[in-house]
Amino acid sequence: MARQATAVGSNDGIGSVAGSIFKWTVLTFFLVFTFFPLVWLVISSFKTNIELQTAPFALPQVWQFGNYVNAVQVAELPRLFLNSVIVSTSSTALAMLITSMAAFVFSREKFRGQQSLLNLIIAGVLVPIIALMAPYFRLTNVLGLYDSLWALILTYTAINIPISTFLMYGFMKSIPAELEEAAVIDGASFYQRFSMVIFPLSRIGLVTAGTFVFLFSWNEFIYALLLTSSVRSRTLQLGIRFFTSQFFTDYTSMFAAIVLTIIPSVLVYVFMHEKIIKGLTSGALKG
Amino acid sequence: MIVQSRKGNRLGIILFLLPVLTLFTLYFIYPLGFVFVTSTLDWNGIGTPQFVGLQNFLDNFQTRTFQISVRNNFIWLFALGFVQIGLAALVAILLARKPRGWRFLRTVYFLPNVISQVAIAMMWAALYNAEYGAINQFLEMIGLENLTHNWLGEISTALPSILIQQVLYIGYFMIIILASTMSIPESFYEAAEIDGANVLQQEIFITLPMIKDILVTTMTLAMAYGLRHFEATFLLTNGGPANSTSVLGIQLYKELSALDYGHANAIGATLVILGILMIVTIRAIGSRGAAADRMQ
Repeated sequence: MARQATAVGSNDGIGSVAGSIFKWTVLTFFLVFTFFPLVWLVISSFKTNIELQTAPFALPQVWQFGNYVNAVQVAELPRLFLNSVIVSTSSTALAMLITSMAAFVFSREKFRGQQSLLNLIIAGVLVPIIALMAPYFRLTNVLGLYDSLWALILTYTAINIPISTFLMYGFMKSIPAELEEAAVIDGASFYQRFSMVIFPLSRIGLVTAGTFVFLFSWNEFIYALLLTSSVRSRTLQLGIRFFTSQFFTDYTSMFAAIVLTIIPSVLVYVFMHEKIIKGLTSGALKG
Repeated sequence: MIVQSRKGNRLGIILFLLPVLTLFTLYFIYPLGFVFVTSTLDWNGIGTPQFVGLQNFLDNFQTRTFQISVRNNFIWLFALGFVQIGLAALVAILLARKPRGWRFLRTVYFLPNVISQVAIAMMWAALYNAEYGAINQFLEMIGLENLTHNWLGEISTALPSILIQQVLYIGYFMIIILASTMSIPESFYEAAEIDGANVLQQEIFITLPMIKDILVTTMTLAMAYGLRHFEATFLLTNGGPANSTSVLGIQLYKELSALDYGHANAIGATLVILGILMIVTIRAIGSRGAAADRMQ
C-alpha cells in the first residue's frame, strides 16, 4: 500500500505528473493492442462481407448470426473440437499418470544413478523440439500411428515429460515424510504409498503440471501439421489453417469460425484466471 | 519382512520408471541421435543412405535462404529476448505499484496467451490484409492512404509486421516478472523513500537488482522461443515474400516435405547446437555478472 502512495508522491510534483502520463500511456497502449483486434474480429464476424469492406469500424446494420451457422457447417467444427478434446485430455491424463509415478520414485525412493537419471530427463526441457521433426515423423510411421489421434497423444505426452517430471518432482519432494511413515507403519506397500498417500496429496502439483500439458496440447500446431493428413484426425488448431481455403471469400463466416475456436479458451480463462495465473507463476518461479 | 519390501520396491521402482524412460528414449534420445547421424547422410528416407560428412552443413550455409533464415532467427532471438522482455518488465514494474485496475489489466494482458498462436495469427492475417484489413482501412480513414501497404506481401514490411505482432504480446513474461517484483519486501521501498529516493530511483536501484535473476530466466526462455519460432511466420507468410521472413524451422519443414532428410536434419542439428551455444553464453555472462557482484 505504501508503494501505491508513492506513485502520486509529493516530493517532485512535475516528475510525478510526467510519470503518471507515461504510465497510463504504456498501460493503455497494451490494453488497446490486446483488446482492439479481438473486438474488431468479433464485431466483423457479425457483418456481411460488403459491410466489412465499406464500414470497417461501424457496428453491423443487421447482426448476421447466419455467419455462425455457416461456420459450424463449413468448417466441421464439432469434429475438430472433439478431436482436440480427446487429444488434450488423453495426453494430459497420460502425462500426469506416468510422470507422477516417475516423480514418486525419484523423490521418495533411493537407487543407484537416481540423480543423473533425473537430471537427464529434466535436461530435456532444453531440447528445441522443433528440430526433431524428421525423427518424430519417422518414429510415428514406424509405430504405425501416422494420421491417427494416438500419434498426437503419444507425441504430446512425451514432449511434456521433462517439464511435468520436474514440476511433480519438486512438488512431491515437499510432502513431509511423516505422512508416508504413518502409512508404512500401518502396513502400506510401495504401491499403496503411491496410490493412497503421495498421489492424492499431490493434487495441487497435478493441477499446475496438468495446466501446462493441457494448454500445450490444446494449442500445439507443428506436430499436428506434420503427423496427420486427413480430416479424421485433424485438431482444432490445424483445422483453423484450412479456413482460408474452406471459406474462400466469405471472410466474415471465417471470422465467425475463428471466434468459435477462441471462445472455449476464453471462457475457461474468465472463470479460472486467478488459478491459471497462480499456477503458471508458482511453477515458473521455482524453475 | 524388510527384505521382502525391499524386493517389492526394486520391482516397483523399475515398473514406475518404465513408461517415462521408454517414451523419453523414443522421443528424446533416439531423435537427437537420429538428427545428428542423418545430418551427415545423403538420404531421401527410403533408399540407401550415403555418408557425406559435413557436406549437408556446407551446402546449407551456402544457400541464400538458409543464410536469411539464420539472420531472421537471430532477429527473433533479440527481438523477443530484449524488446519483449524489456516491455514486459516495464509493464510489470508499473503494475507492481498497484495502480487503479491493475488486477484487471494483468488479466487482460495475459488473455492472448490462452488463445492459440494459430487463431491469433489468422486474426492478424485479417488485420494486415491489403483489401479488407483493419489497419489499411484505419489509415485510409484518417487520411494517410499513402502509408497503406500490402503488409505481409512486401519484402520491406513483412518481417516487421510479424515481429511487432509477436513482440507486443508481453502477457506471459509480464506475469512471471510481476510475481517476482511483487515479492520484494515493502520495507525496502519505505527505507528508500525516507532517504529521499524518488519513484524512478527506487525502480532502478531496488527493483531492477532484485528481479535480475528472473529477467535472465525469462530472457533465456524468450530467446529459446526466438530460435524455435515457427507458427506465426508459417501461417502469415510461410517464409515469403521471396523467403525474406523465413526461419530455420520453416526451412526444416520445407526440406523435410521435399524428403531431403540430410539437409533437413543438418538444419535440425544446427538448431540444437545454436540452442546449446545460446544457453552456454547466457550462463557464462550470468555467472560473470554474479562474480562481479560478489567482488563489490
